[in-house]
Amino acid sequence: MNRRAMLRNLALLPGAMVFYRSQHAHATVFASPLDVNRVRPPGAAAEDQFAGRCIRCGRCVESCSYRCIHLLDIRYGLHAGTPVIAVDKLPCLLCMDCVTVCPTGALTPVSQSEVRMGTAIIDHFACAAWTELALCRTCYDVCPFKGKAIVLAELKPAVVADACTGCGLCTHACPVSREQGEKAVNISPR
Amino acid sequence: MQVLLPGRLSGYGFTFWRRLLLSISFVLLICIPLTHRIFGITVVQGWYQSLGIGKLRIVSPLEGLQSILTTHHVHVPALIGMLIPVLVAFFLGRVFCSWVCPISFLAEGRSFFSRHPPGRKQDRIVLPRQMLWYTLIADMLFALVLGAPVFVFLSPPGLVGRELMLAILFQTLTLEGLVVVLVMALELLSRRFYCRSLCPLGALLALLGSRRRLRMVWHVDSCVACGRCDAICPLGLAPSKAEADSPYCWNCGLCSDHCPHDALRFSWRSPS
Repeated sequence: MNRRAMLRNLALLPGAMVFYRSQHAHATVFASPLDVNRVRPPGAAAEDQFAGRCIRCGRCVESCSYRCIHLLDIRYGLHAGTPVIAVDKLPCLLCMDCVTVCPTGALTPVSQSEVRMGTAIIDHFACAAWTELALCRTCYDVCPFKGKAIVLAELKPAVVADACTGCGLCTHACPVSREQGEKAVNISPR
Repeated sequence: MQVLLPGRLSGYGFTFWRRLLLSISFVLLICIPLTHRIFGITVVQGWYQSLGIGKLRIVSPLEGLQSILTTHHVHVPALIGMLIPVLVAFFLGRVFCSWVCPISFLAEGRSFFSRHPPGRKQDRIVLPRQMLWYTLIADMLFALVLGAPVFVFLSPPGLVGRELMLAILFQTLTLEGLVVVLVMALELLSRRFYCRSLCPLGALLALLGSRRRLRMVWHVDSCVACGRCDAICPLGLAPSKAEADSPYCWNCGLCSDHCPHDALRFSWRSPS
């Protein structure tokens, strides 16, 4: 191979890295890893700043009493080593241990009610209460801000987006499953 | 003005105390998550990337600096936390590398069980010393271009602590733990191959410690040029040619311990 061909191939390499997509549905090298039911821990800085502020020290993971924070693996490229909560598997119980230990301000102290990890969104076509399959109010019952973040409107749950912390307790408890591991109520990240 | 420091501490050479501190530092990395898991004690948390003692967070200067430079945001507790390792490096040099770093512990452990006595024969492939600075420059550029302190995820000193924490608290190990195995495998090329040439954290600490007060001083009058110090130096420096004065020296004290003529002694250089 001559020099010109080699240089051309080398120039393609960074381009290839940018467009790399791994087999895992959500792993991308540069884009934010946040997705449905995948949120940053409480008190997180804005997502465009998060990867820069986080020094991948793992203190939040260590301090989480419920072991719901986990570090992203190497497939997440720029975001490898940064913390994420999979709320459908283990929701955040808002113990607020993690916000006080972050050394670089990727997570800053907030109060429980001020947490905004995401917003719960109820799928009216899947929800047992909304499709009138049953008088289900599981999400309303488990919500730590019952009556403020989730209210019952004519026995059907409705999310008050301004007050929802995105903790995912509703998602975790919801008995109705949808495709791709989702539930009838899911957390949409901030 | 130079104050000559004693050649031994309480009758033991520096190597004894250094290995003791390395062992304590490593055991600490196991005890911290273990006491957290068994007793729920969280007063001390983390590992050497970000060690939390009560409300004090000691932050590794490389990652802290990259975080500030990429986000243009200074979190004051991080700044305070970085101050401690920076001051230690500024006055004492890169002693973290030789006295605390878990990679050093593993490397010392490996040479402890090695049949061959340590010496230049084990340095089969040696990169030029300046490689250390190129590594630091490359790492900083990489972080600035990508906009995040990316290398820290694979940084071997931090990896040892992280893998231990994950193993104890989550009963899992991760793929990048193999980087530590790779670093140990590099020891086959030459002693402390990673530390000499490829560690950006070590490079930053060496840079900070260029004008350190604690130095290994070579006394030419006592030296008989036996070459024992040159052979024992794990970084491949030549203390018998005053190379312990260079920024690369990490004040491990091995040359001093092995000098039979007392020609190498630590001294504290205070400004006059």
